Amino acid sequence: MDQSMVLNTFMLLTLTTLLTPIILPLLTNSLKNTPNTITNTVKTSFLLSLIPMTIYIHSGTENLVTLWEWKFIMNFKIPVSLKMDFYSLTFFPIALFVSWSILQFATWYMASDPYITKFFTYLLLFLIAMLILIISNNLFLLFIGWEGVGIMSFLLISWWHGRAEANTAALQAVLYNRVGDVGLILCMAWLATTMNTWEIQQVTSPDKIPTLPLLGLILAATGKSAQFGLHPWLPAAMEGPTPVSALLHSSTMVVAGIFLLIRTHPMFSNNQTALSLCLCLGAISTLFAATCALTQNDIKKIIAFSTSSQLGLMMVTIGLNLPQLAFLHISTHAFFKAMLFLCSGSIIHNLNGEQDIRKMGGLQKMLPTTTSCLTIGNLALMGTPFLAGFYSKDQIIESLNTSYLNAWALLLTLLATSFTAVYTTRMTIMVQTGFVRIPPLTPMNENNPAILRPLTRLALGSITAGFLITSYIVPTKTPPMTMPLSIKLTAILVTVLGIAMALELSKLTQTLIKPKRNAFSDFSTSLGHFNPLMHRPSAMALLGGGQNIATHLVDSSWYKMMGPEGLASLQQMAAKTLTTLHTGQIKAYLGTFALSILIMLTSTY
Amino acid sequence: MNPQAKLVFVFSLMLGTTLTISSNHWIMAWAGLEINTLSILPLISKSHHPRAIEAATKYFLVQAAASTLVLFSGMTNAWHTGQWDITQLTHPLSCLVLTAALSMKLGLVPFHFWFPEVLQGSPLTTGLILSTVMKLPPIALLFMTSHSLNPTMMTIMAILSVALGGWMGLNQTQIRKIMAFSSISHLGWMAIIIVYSPKLTLLNFYLYALMTATVFLTFNSIKTLKLSTLMTTWAKTPSLSMILLLVLMSLAGLPPLTGFLPKWLIIQELTNQHMAPAATTISLLSLLSLFFYLRLAYCATITLPPHTTNHMKQWHSTKPINLSIAVLATASTMMLPISPMIFATI
Repeated sequence: MDQSMVLNTFMLLTLTTLLTPIILPLLTNSLKNTPNTITNTVKTSFLLSLIPMTIYIHSGTENLVTLWEWKFIMNFKIPVSLKMDFYSLTFFPIALFVSWSILQFATWYMASDPYITKFFTYLLLFLIAMLILIISNNLFLLFIGWEGVGIMSFLLISWWHGRAEANTAALQAVLYNRVGDVGLILCMAWLATTMNTWEIQQVTSPDKIPTLPLLGLILAATGKSAQFGLHPWLPAAMEGPTPVSALLHSSTMVVAGIFLLIRTHPMFSNNQTALSLCLCLGAISTLFAATCALTQNDIKKIIAFSTSSQLGLMMVTIGLNLPQLAFLHISTHAFFKAMLFLCSGSIIHNLNGEQDIRKMGGLQKMLPTTTSCLTIGNLALMGTPFLAGFYSKDQIIESLNTSYLNAWALLLTLLATSFTAVYTTRMTIMVQTGFVRIPPLTPMNENNPAILRPLTRLALGSITAGFLITSYIVPTKTPPMTMPLSIKLTAILVTVLGIAMALELSKLTQTLIKPKRNAFSDFSTSLGHFNPLMHRPSAMALLGGGQNIATHLVDSSWYKMMGPEGLASLQQMAAKTLTTLHTGQIKAYLGTFALSILIMLTSTY
Repeated sequence: MNPQAKLVFVFSLMLGTTLTISSNHWIMAWAGLEINTLSILPLISKSHHPRAIEAATKYFLVQAAASTLVLFSGMTNAWHTGQWDITQLTHPLSCLVLTAALSMKLGLVPFHFWFPEVLQGSPLTTGLILSTVMKLPPIALLFMTSHSLNPTMMTIMAILSVALGGWMGLNQTQIRKIMAFSSISHLGWMAIIIVYSPKLTLLNFYLYALMTATVFLTFNSIKTLKLSTLMTTWAKTPSLSMILLLVLMSLAGLPPLTGFLPKWLIIQELTNQHMAPAATTISLLSLLSLFFYLRLAYCATITLPPHTTNHMKQWHSTKPINLSIAVLATASTMMLPISPMIFATI
């Protein structure tokens, strides 16, 4: 049978299935959406998307579909072309699986919300935009998806828009994303003017691509994937409901920046400057986020910073010129990060809105499934051997250790890995073990299938996904095969070191010694002093500069001073000066006459 | 004033003017100028007010000095060339001194200081005579000696006159002083073109005399001496206030009124003589005088509620308005279409 046609059909069918809850209610009044219909739609899409993935794994079929061309400019083609290659075919089922689980969880989490259908529609729109981004072949379609996920992120973060912090966080997300978008537009403009195309396949050239478009792409990834410099929006985005955090800010949207770099990696391969920049930026991001996570007390913020840290690690992998490995990490990360968020959502709802880990404890006995999944997710995050995270994370660190690269980036990444272990263990201990610090009358119930089924599904994925993906996919670049034993064990060693340190430090919480404040703890608690240093001055500079130019320069100066008022004041000055000269004394007048005649005589002779 | 005395003075004025205009000997010209000076002094000081006396004194001192300089220039020329003909002024010193002397007589900058104060001290009709009739002999002399004048000096004095007339007039509230500075401004226009086309100077002077006569006679009939009084005239003579507006705009030189004609022709002549920057400068500086003409017009036509003033003459206008104002106003606003005929007859 014609495999490529089947592949094509099922991929398009997946996308169309997702569009039905959007389109059908517009056509007739009797077809209204409910949360369950939307969840079932996504489940159907997931099952449909398994088929193309299977076909790809079986025979390596890839596909490139051009649906329509926007005939806008004569000699510049803007087709709507979809690329069904390894990345999109693999990511579709993963994204849909995770989305299905999250949507099922959200039917319980958002059950008391009056606009729950609108919430689900927003999530569905986000998913469609994300999938467009993934499957697009040219930067134009990718940009459409890019902007779509940005807008939906804004709408979803400010879901509880009565809360001022939620609105601020949504604005922050949009602004930081916009700054990144400038980079993407720069790259698109450069491509349009230099290569006359926006398709990635046509951008290969034997010699080095200039650094400018690559800088634009890196800026776009920095904005979207919250690398250091444009990172504050990601912790702030935790103001949105937990399903939003799980879907957008852990699995799908934030990886869009990394995905962009993966798609355009042929442009990067020759340019060592861009690669080094990715490497160092990723290293800083991962360490900074891990440092900030060390002293966080909000469970969602800890997971947010851990997302940020893993995104930095993905950026490091891009910097090592290993895009497939970065994609592997994206895939495995999606599972356990979504699960971590869902566990935290379950905990928060059961504790009646409590998000502070200092007010949780001993939940292992009270929420067994949730906390077990939390443990599995944390272990996967730390890179415990043979769980999902291990296959990607360990390979990354091995490649780091065996590559000829910046030792400083290596050091930072290893440090971040151990910090990951520290804060993860800290979170586990404070949430699950120890004395109970919750209010006494807290009715907890996790026996809803809407919670248990997604959690267990994702737990299954967190355990097996790494193994499954690496078994069936042939790597395009040879992984490092031989290395000294100490190098091989580095990742495990630093993780174990981190765990041991966290366990040791947690014993201090049982004593009555007050922890000392010093510069380092302040740095971690205040998120690196980044927000107060950057937000106020840049806003003041922009708005102040704008006011100076618009009001002072244009309005007051040019329109008034250089024009009518300046002229009027000059004439006034002249009139006043001259009036004082007319004293009324005839002696002065006659003297002036004599002087004038004298001047006239002497000047002409 | 005693009617017979007035008769004598007015006739002496006419005699002096005629004498100077029709002379071709410097002594005759000087004599005519002196007769003019002497005969107008009583007219200035007829109210015996201290300010009028001061005005008369200043007038006498300046004009006497100016006449002396006129005679001096003629005498120097006679000494060097042996003849007293007005049109044959050739000696450079004479030419220069004559330029200064006539400027002093007329009131060109920097010899203008006496003019506003003299005009302020004299009654409105005498002011009219001072602005028009008393300028006629010096302008006639200027016309006759136009080839002997120093062009640079004339241009500089002219531009300065227009400028100073504009700037000083901005700061005045007394109408007679405003008219003095407007006169200085117009003299600047007349002076700038004398070297290139004396005909245009005469044209400018005639039209200026026409318009100024209208304005002065209007102010005389509505008995206003300052801006605040002017603001209440609309209740007494509304149509006259409107006509005053038009005449003032004509003075300012706005087309399509008569006052535009001399300015237009002067600018054209200057441009033909490759003096375009001077033409631009003088036009731009005339905008200043436009401002105070507009202010006068605004004050005349503004509608304010009538209020009591302690100006007695305001309430009892026993004299009917002079009929000649109608004729003069018509002439000062509507003569632009017949400009070729005007230009041909000068």
